[in-house]
Amino acid sequence: MTHCDRRGFLGALSGIGVAAFGPRDCAAARDLPIQDPQGHADLKWDKAPCRYCGTGCGVEVGVKDGKVMAVRGDAASPVNQGLLCVKGYHLPAMLYGKDRLQYPMLRKDGKLERISWEQAIATIAERFGQALADKGPDGVAVYGSGQWTVFDGYAALKWVKGGMKSNNLDPNARLCMASAVMGFMTQFQSDEPMGCYEDLDVGQDFFLWGNNMAEMHPVLFSRMLENKRRNPGVRIVDIATRRTPTSDYADLYVEFEPGSDLALANGILHLLVAKGKVAESFVTENCVFKRGIEDLDKIGYGCFGEQAEKYTFADETKDATREDFVKFLADYTPEKVAAITGVPVQQIQALADMYGDAERRAVSMWCMGVNQHTRGTWMNNLITDIHLLTGKISRPGNNPFSLTGQPSACGTVREVGTLANRLPADMVVNNPEHRAKAEKLWGLQEGTINPKPGHHAVDMFRAFQRGDVVAMWIQTTNPWVTMPNLHRFDRKPGDGRFLVVSDIYPTPTTDVADLILPSAAWVEREGVFGNTERRTQQWNKMVEPPGEAREDAWQIVQVAKRMGMGNLFPWPEGDWHEPMFEEYRKFTLGIGKDLASYAELKSTRGMLWPVVDGKETRYRYAAGFDPYVKKAAGVHFYKAKGYGEKAAIWLRPYHPPAEVPDAQYPFWLCTGRVLEHWHTGSMTRRVKQLHQAAPRAYVEINRADATRLGIKTGDKVRLVSRRGKLELPAMVDGRGKPPAGSVFVPFFDEGLLVNRLTLDAMDNISKEPDYKKCAVAVERA
Amino acid sequence: MNARILAAFLLLAACGDDSQKTAVPGVPGAVKTLASVRAERRLFDGAPPVIPHHDFGADCISCHTTAGMSVPQFGFAPPAPHDPEQLQGAMSRCRMCHVFASKEPAFADNDFVGLRQDLRAGKRLNDLAPPVIPHQTLLRENCMACHTGPAAREEIRCPHPERERCVQCHLPQQTTGEFSR
Repeated sequence: MTHCDRRGFLGALSGIGVAAFGPRDCAAARDLPIQDPQGHADLKWDKAPCRYCGTGCGVEVGVKDGKVMAVRGDAASPVNQGLLCVKGYHLPAMLYGKDRLQYPMLRKDGKLERISWEQAIATIAERFGQALADKGPDGVAVYGSGQWTVFDGYAALKWVKGGMKSNNLDPNARLCMASAVMGFMTQFQSDEPMGCYEDLDVGQDFFLWGNNMAEMHPVLFSRMLENKRRNPGVRIVDIATRRTPTSDYADLYVEFEPGSDLALANGILHLLVAKGKVAESFVTENCVFKRGIEDLDKIGYGCFGEQAEKYTFADETKDATREDFVKFLADYTPEKVAAITGVPVQQIQALADMYGDAERRAVSMWCMGVNQHTRGTWMNNLITDIHLLTGKISRPGNNPFSLTGQPSACGTVREVGTLANRLPADMVVNNPEHRAKAEKLWGLQEGTINPKPGHHAVDMFRAFQRGDVVAMWIQTTNPWVTMPNLHRFDRKPGDGRFLVVSDIYPTPTTDVADLILPSAAWVEREGVFGNTERRTQQWNKMVEPPGEAREDAWQIVQVAKRMGMGNLFPWPEGDWHEPMFEEYRKFTLGIGKDLASYAELKSTRGMLWPVVDGKETRYRYAAGFDPYVKKAAGVHFYKAKGYGEKAAIWLRPYHPPAEVPDAQYPFWLCTGRVLEHWHTGSMTRRVKQLHQAAPRAYVEINRADATRLGIKTGDKVRLVSRRGKLELPAMVDGRGKPPAGSVFVPFFDEGLLVNRLTLDAMDNISKEPDYKKCAVAVERA
Repeated sequence: MNARILAAFLLLAACGDDSQKTAVPGVPGAVKTLASVRAERRLFDGAPPVIPHHDFGADCISCHTTAGMSVPQFGFAPPAPHDPEQLQGAMSRCRMCHVFASKEPAFADNDFVGLRQDLRAGKRLNDLAPPVIPHQTLLRENCMACHTGPAAREEIRCPHPERERCVQCHLPQQTTGEFSR
């Protein structure tokens, strides 16, 4: 035979010519045996969102013989269209670290001993019951997570607020995006962004505010770079305090003095007004002006040594006018702003010109730089002010877009409302109507829900340390690495208080726990996450968890039942996910937060809420996109009932940071993340490839400072702050390059805890700590 | 058992070690790494390989050109298999997926066993039909990167690189196993 006869098969390939095959091909083809010894095609593939960041990339998970053997980017996912980052590609190994927690363990006489689930549940129920009896609802606390699934968060919320009548429920997301929450709430009276990831494809000018997107949201960064490739006119502006891999791709790098972004944003607003770039009819029709308390002495920073124990500042909302606004901005001339920020006048002008160009679309993106800020809510307000003032909002490619760091910071924390003052769907405990609605949907007696907000995260740990809270349960997070000023929370078990920790691996937090519960991870259980762009994503359980590990929601439900609160969770043991979700969903329907049904979520790659009549909403508040907007054109901020259904432009001044470098501590210290590790590294460090690429923390030092101090890469350096000391290797000209007078340390390394140095100053409104700015001395160790 | 094998691979994965290289038949002077080393550079087949050499401080594409490049002392720098256009855009930040390998001891032991795919797994309609493509083509748009040149493994080397349009005859095999809708 000299010709391969493929005509029949080729028939299926319409439009493609018939190939000619030579004898050599045929021989070569025959020589290759058909075999599939590994049976890769036998893998069963199912969809799931990635376990790590708030991007919510779709992955397909390949399972064989009860084990995850591979993942790949889900080409059908609208989020990532098949691409993942290095963490995502290495997901499967995260599940199989040898030291997975497999059994409940109780500390007896200082030693951890394996106990049964029955004993664990009985012990927790007894200790929480005792705390309630001794101290009332303030004596208990649950510290949750933006990595909680919707089920975990909803179970915790219902148990704490509906069962124990406490509001001491707060998440690690308080450390992460609480300022963005308060930004959206104060301006739109409804949380979460109006845009979606399509903004990355169609935006023209991208402003990254203190946001190393190349490392922290790599897939979204890629999406933006692909837009730039296809549309060479696209411009990326990196507004930052340190050069990062993101800066390498920026058309313009704008470096400001730490904390002075408030002045820079006001400077841009000043120029927009001065140059007549205000979208007048948009502002008149859709915006109001507001201002709050602006007196630095009244606000403070809530940190140790100042208002040391409790920080309870409450802002006021006062009406303002367009004239007030203009007068307020008069202070922020380019020259004055340049003096505060260190940004040249020309660059301030350039930023204002770009934002003010009515012919171009603008997207602002930010994450921890803006949120972990002693005036983070203000900074969120100011960025959104720029978009409101120019009318560049709620349209494709024209949006302020807050990025999130955890996979369900939006879906669980913000939407379910696992915060000290919240109930589901943006409702708050101090509103009687909201409490009544929750009590009705939960079938609880009127007056069950406690109207007094509980402890926010930092305050919760201070209360635990004081002994006001005597029973605390921590799930899916690692606060003994992440809390600022860690010294304040040093703990030895056996202090009379009771700490339960649910996790999948041993961490510094399980090290100080009295009782450890083994949790099921990611695809070892059924779950729902909600990502940054309002996309709710469901996945199925694909493999069994190791040992006796169980999902967090199940753990909570068992304890609640043991405490006689089983009425909160009336669903059958084997089938409770869908009914629990559908109950929760009732909170969201008809108010512009409508979640898709569980059945819809199971059959799609997630849906963007509000979902009405099976249709998702890409752009909220926008005519033609949002089903709640009845106008023919333009926008309608219909959620802002308190502002006459208009968005609020806030007047927010510049305040200096809580601690600034001085003669004794002459350097700025900024902390943050790296591409390879996710948060405290408890998962990613157990993956060889990721660990080897970034095995330990280091301190990035500017070359000029390093030369002056005689430090080179790899040398041991001692950092000293007013709170503590830390020795770690230096990195000069590494992936991040801080300017002279500042250093950067990543926080993933539990062996080199940078949070022993950080200051527990926090945002006045969101109570989110500032991990980005404190003062340190740098010396050779 | 697996941990031991992994540990052995770890020791063997040294870059620039000639004992880990094998000659490329028909390409005088060219060398390539052993299949076992190839496996060690990926968590599983389909995962992005780690970077086996140290950081040269240069742009990756200065050696990993569209045709690949022989680098004295190090061997052959293969071209990226990604869509050449997207390498200027979505795929332009190589280190988003490819990270440097090191000999750093593990933080904790790991029992993960990754998918290992037979490189000759492409099925045929009949004995003489061209094999289908047994892997996803997404992010692997440039077939030549792996199937031709000194970097190509013998078992998957293309016998007719002059026919540039591979998917004309080789169909991507549907291995996605769609979840139920």
